[in-house]
Amino acid sequence: MARAFRPVVLTANDLVEGDVVWWTGAVWSRDVSDAEVFDTPEAAEAAEAALNTPEHAACTVGIVRVEVEMRDGAPFPTLRREQIRAERRPTFDYLPTSKVSEAA
Amino acid sequence: MYSYDEFDERFVRERVAQFRDQVARRLDGSLTEEEFRPLRLMNGLYLQLHAYMLRIAIPYGSMNGRQMRMLGTIAEKWDRGYGHFTTRQNIQFNWPKLKDIPDILDALADVGMHAIQTSGNCIRNTTSDPFSGVATDEIEDPRATCELIRQWSSLHPEFTFLGRKFKIAVTGASSDRAAIRVHDIGIEIVKNEAGETGYRILVGGGLGRTPMIGKELRAFLPREELLPYLEACLRVYNMHGRRDNKYKARIKILVHELGIDTYREHVEAEYARIDRSNTAADMAEFARIAEQFAPPAYPELPEQSAIFERALKAHPDFAHWVEQNGFAHRVPGFMAVTVSLKPVGGAPGDATSEQLRVLAEAAEQYSMDELRITHEQNVVLPNVKKDELFALWTLLKSQGLDAPNKGLVTDIIACPGLDYCALATARSIPVAQEISKRFSDPARMADIGPLAIKISGCINACGHHHVGHIGILGLDKAGVESYQITLGGDPANDASLGERTGPGFSYDQVPGVIETLVETYLGLREPRETFLQTYRRVGMAPFKEALYADAA
Ligand code: HEM
Ligand code: SF4
Repeated sequence: MARAFRPVVLTANDLVEGDVVWWTGAVWSRDVSDAEVFDTPEAAEAAEAALNTPEHAACTVGIVRVEVEMRDGAPFPTLRREQIRAERRPTFDYLPTSKVSEAA
Repeated sequence: MYSYDEFDERFVRERVAQFRDQVARRLDGSLTEEEFRPLRLMNGLYLQLHAYMLRIAIPYGSMNGRQMRMLGTIAEKWDRGYGHFTTRQNIQFNWPKLKDIPDILDALADVGMHAIQTSGNCIRNTTSDPFSGVATDEIEDPRATCELIRQWSSLHPEFTFLGRKFKIAVTGASSDRAAIRVHDIGIEIVKNEAGETGYRILVGGGLGRTPMIGKELRAFLPREELLPYLEACLRVYNMHGRRDNKYKARIKILVHELGIDTYREHVEAEYARIDRSNTAADMAEFARIAEQFAPPAYPELPEQSAIFERALKAHPDFAHWVEQNGFAHRVPGFMAVTVSLKPVGGAPGDATSEQLRVLAEAAEQYSMDELRITHEQNVVLPNVKKDELFALWTLLKSQGLDAPNKGLVTDIIACPGLDYCALATARSIPVAQEISKRFSDPARMADIGPLAIKISGCINACGHHHVGHIGILGLDKAGVESYQITLGGDPANDASLGERTGPGFSYDQVPGVIETLVETYLGLREPRETFLQTYRRVGMAPFKEALYADAA
């Protein structure tokens, strides 16, 4: 039996920067909480089809679906891998001290 | 050290120019990702979870100060201030931007470096002993053979699109520090009864989904036959190897399915047909290369150094570091040292741009301009005068590069895992960090003695977990990280693959599990017995009981 459909968002990596990006319905955002949530397979398919254009292929790499649940009214990935992507950084203090202070 | 000739130089420059054009065409939309992907991979450019990753070749792990300094500059200018040394003796940068890659490759070409053969189903960077040229147990510097293989395999039209990637390692010493038994082809430089130098060839080793220890294909191959013989090995693999299933496409599967004797028959039959008219030219080239690896002009020094002896007495920290990280040099008055990239709680193999620059300076000032990257993700300074060791240590210490833990429980190998890698099923770096913190006490580390912990974030085994004395494999169990533990693996002369303890453990349990294993060993060991020796003597049962008794 097929598993029940869970809400999804669409994600990719930015072509130039490599950054993780999320489809808001209008633009690609760096913030997963901006992502548009698709509650049915039909809605997700329609959005994927709409993004299947040379224009999007020229600014993103690998558009895929990611399952989400709602947290504080915003989508949040269910899979650990996608949660780490959504954080936009490794889970440990990865930056050299010099860079941390630069960023601060 | 080997320096590129005009052919290499021109070739690398042309490749950069070509890739610059390809990047431009991808950015303006005239190349699709499907078209571009194989092109970027051929130039070492991957896409990981958060960003692109550029893998740069460090042939046989050897480099000079100028090259190391350039890596520091790249980290600073185009990345986030650090790089990651890998178990394949390469370096990876984790945050470059696509538009900057051609400039990075040009900067590398300025110092004779590139990112070719770091990806794809070709013959990859040939790896070697980090103590090449200086070890006391060495018959011959293996890097000349590595370089011969590099030149032959670079862009070999027949072997650029193999069924799968192909990895070769060469050692020239009796003690295997290059893990040749877990490579597709492992080469050991040996002498025959007549005293001639040649090669012992192993085949079919590897890690990944189906780990295997290499088997002996030829006990002695005369030197001049190396390249045609390798050609025969690869051709048989190329013709018979499976391409239907990428997990079965490695040569180890072919050797396993055919049996080593049948594979050998195929190779010898093919070898009999091969045109060997080039061997004279190969040997002329080998002589030219070998000259470039001729030992540097070592000054004549007494074996004992008074300055060194005084420093050892005056500075216990220094003495401890020398004891743990020093390595006997064949030339009197010299020593090789390992610079550990495993400070307590650090990310294994990571080095900041400042550290990369200090390593460059250390090489230039104190190691006759030579550095080696080890497959344990550390750096070796091979040519240090004992007279200058203390000054070197002081310099390294200024950048936190003085961890005295080579080969100890905190000298952990870890792949990037789920913090970076798109293929990962679990994290590995933070696991290493937690274990390292738990064993941070130097006295305890020393008491535990040699213990190699190796962690991979998925079945691909980039962290060599199968050959860790303790191996840790991170898996995904219904969306949750779960870690499988293996015991008794080892990559050296008595190579063995680790055995699974039983059901896996959660992320939070792992440090405690390692602690239990170590305590069990300490309780069982006989005088001067290492973890591995104890395990080989007593077997799995007591460890298993210690781990699972409570659960039962
Ligand atoms: C982060 C990007 C990386 C990717 C996408 C990647 C991918 C892979 C894959 C797919 C395999 C399995 C190949 C096979 O069985 O044919 C593999 C094997 C391997 N990788 Fe990586 N890897 C990455 C990083 C690394 C790093 C950082 C290291 C060193 C720390 C490394 C060292 C190795 C080694 C030694 C193997 C050999 C396994 C064998 O002999 O079968 N890789 N890698
Ligand atoms: S072992 Fe798996 S997780 Fe680790 S670097 Fe290799 S492919 Fe990535």
